Amino acid sequence: MATQPILSLKNVGVSYTHNAGFLKKSSYWALEDVSLELFKGQTLGVIGRNGAGKSTLLKLLANIIDPDRGTITRNHGSATMLSLQLGFLPALTGRQNAILSGLLMGFTRKHMEQLLPEIIDFADLQEFIDEPIRTYSTGMKARLGFSVAMQASPDLLLIDEVLGVGDRVFQEKSGSVLRKLIQSNKSVVLVSHQMETIRNMCDTVVWIDNHSTRRFGPAAEVIRDYLSTGAKPTSKQIT
Amino acid sequence: MLLKQYLDLITYKVYADLQAEASRTYLSFLWWVIEPIMYMAVFYVVFGLLFKRGDGPEYIPFLLTGLTLWKWFDASVRAGASSIHANSYLMRQINLPKVIFPLIAIAQTTLRSGLVLILLLGFLELAGPGISPTYAALPVLLLVQFLLICACAFALAATVPFIPDISQLIGNVMVLLMFLSGIFFSGKTIPEQYQTYFYMNPMATLLESYRDILLYNAWPDWGRVTVIAVLSAIFLFFITRIIFRLDKVYPKVLP
Repeated sequence: MATQPILSLKNVGVSYTHNAGFLKKSSYWALEDVSLELFKGQTLGVIGRNGAGKSTLLKLLANIIDPDRGTITRNHGSATMLSLQLGFLPALTGRQNAILSGLLMGFTRKHMEQLLPEIIDFADLQEFIDEPIRTYSTGMKARLGFSVAMQASPDLLLIDEVLGVGDRVFQEKSGSVLRKLIQSNKSVVLVSHQMETIRNMCDTVVWIDNHSTRRFGPAAEVIRDYLSTGAKPTSKQIT
Repeated sequence: MLLKQYLDLITYKVYADLQAEASRTYLSFLWWVIEPIMYMAVFYVVFGLLFKRGDGPEYIPFLLTGLTLWKWFDASVRAGASSIHANSYLMRQINLPKVIFPLIAIAQTTLRSGLVLILLLGFLELAGPGISPTYAALPVLLLVQFLLICACAFALAATVPFIPDISQLIGNVMVLLMFLSGIFFSGKTIPEQYQTYFYMNPMATLLESYRDILLYNAWPDWGRVTVIAVLSAIFLFFITRIIFRLDKVYPKVLP
């Protein structure tokens, strides 16, 4: 192999322990045996049924949790999940929430203040940006959340089923921005139940079944196998 | 510039949370003054008027000094204790050093208590003995208490996610500690054989030191204050290391 993968998982497992009554603990493996590789600039799709462990996998890749077995090798810089409305507080204004969200994503305050005009413009919230967001409609909050989240530019971007938010017009606008981002030379991991999206955007796909890697390979092949084994795709899953 | 980012985050989050809290009520930030005054008035009515503790008008500065600085400790430890637990939704989405959560909580309660402390100093100037040279020790005592607060709050913040039952105990333990810290009485009035145990409580020693410097123009017992500072600093160092080591564990144990 000519180049090194920026991310490689070998037989990785994650177990959760939770209280199961008085002084009783029980543990289960949210991920049992997952292996995959990601190269720079590639987009990796993650598919599988609900409860297969896809969200746990994203948390692992975002460096939020550590594996309990197996090894992860990272050769990338920052990795963050695309989180909409991260840390938003209803009593704060749109401007304050945007700054707070950006600070949580790891920007400095100065940097966020420079980005603000662009964020406000994209979210189309000029008149409302200094109002508390509890007065916003769901759509306005979604627009602001998306515009802020789009400013995040980690080396590895992790996306969990958020392609297009808000009303029809903004859905198209946000969807196209996100698509452009994914198709650019950025390394992306994309979790989706929409096979069309995965087929169009991803180079490789990992199919997580029963907490383990069932198949990992070129997108077209894995999707074909996934669809043919009767694992019915839920075409419009909103999580 | 990782440190700069986190400092920005902490200061902005403190400011934002305080503002969010203020915007919830009509009197907004006036509550930060009204609420502690009401709290002190309750204790003044019960212990100053009904029980007739202490002798005459000198009891009010004595009581208020103890209450003001106790309330800083009490509010900070309570807020810090639940801070990591309360931010589970954030840490599930982004990798942050968890130690910033108790820091944010303590910074907020400290700012609010600072406001009350300024009021107290104003009151002592008008109704108490006023400024004396021993006031110079005040910043030192405040710093030592801050270390103690951080040590206690960090330890609880680190443990509550694993044993949530602790948060049920904190309220009652704090009430017990309040009565054992000599807010309503002076440690010198209790039987001599118990005094050693009484002053093992760091807050009892600190509150007496504050009264020495603010009310009696006397220097505190520096030996005891140094012991509190050193032990708090050592404890804080280790508990901070533990929180860093558990950084990736908290998102897993919290629901």
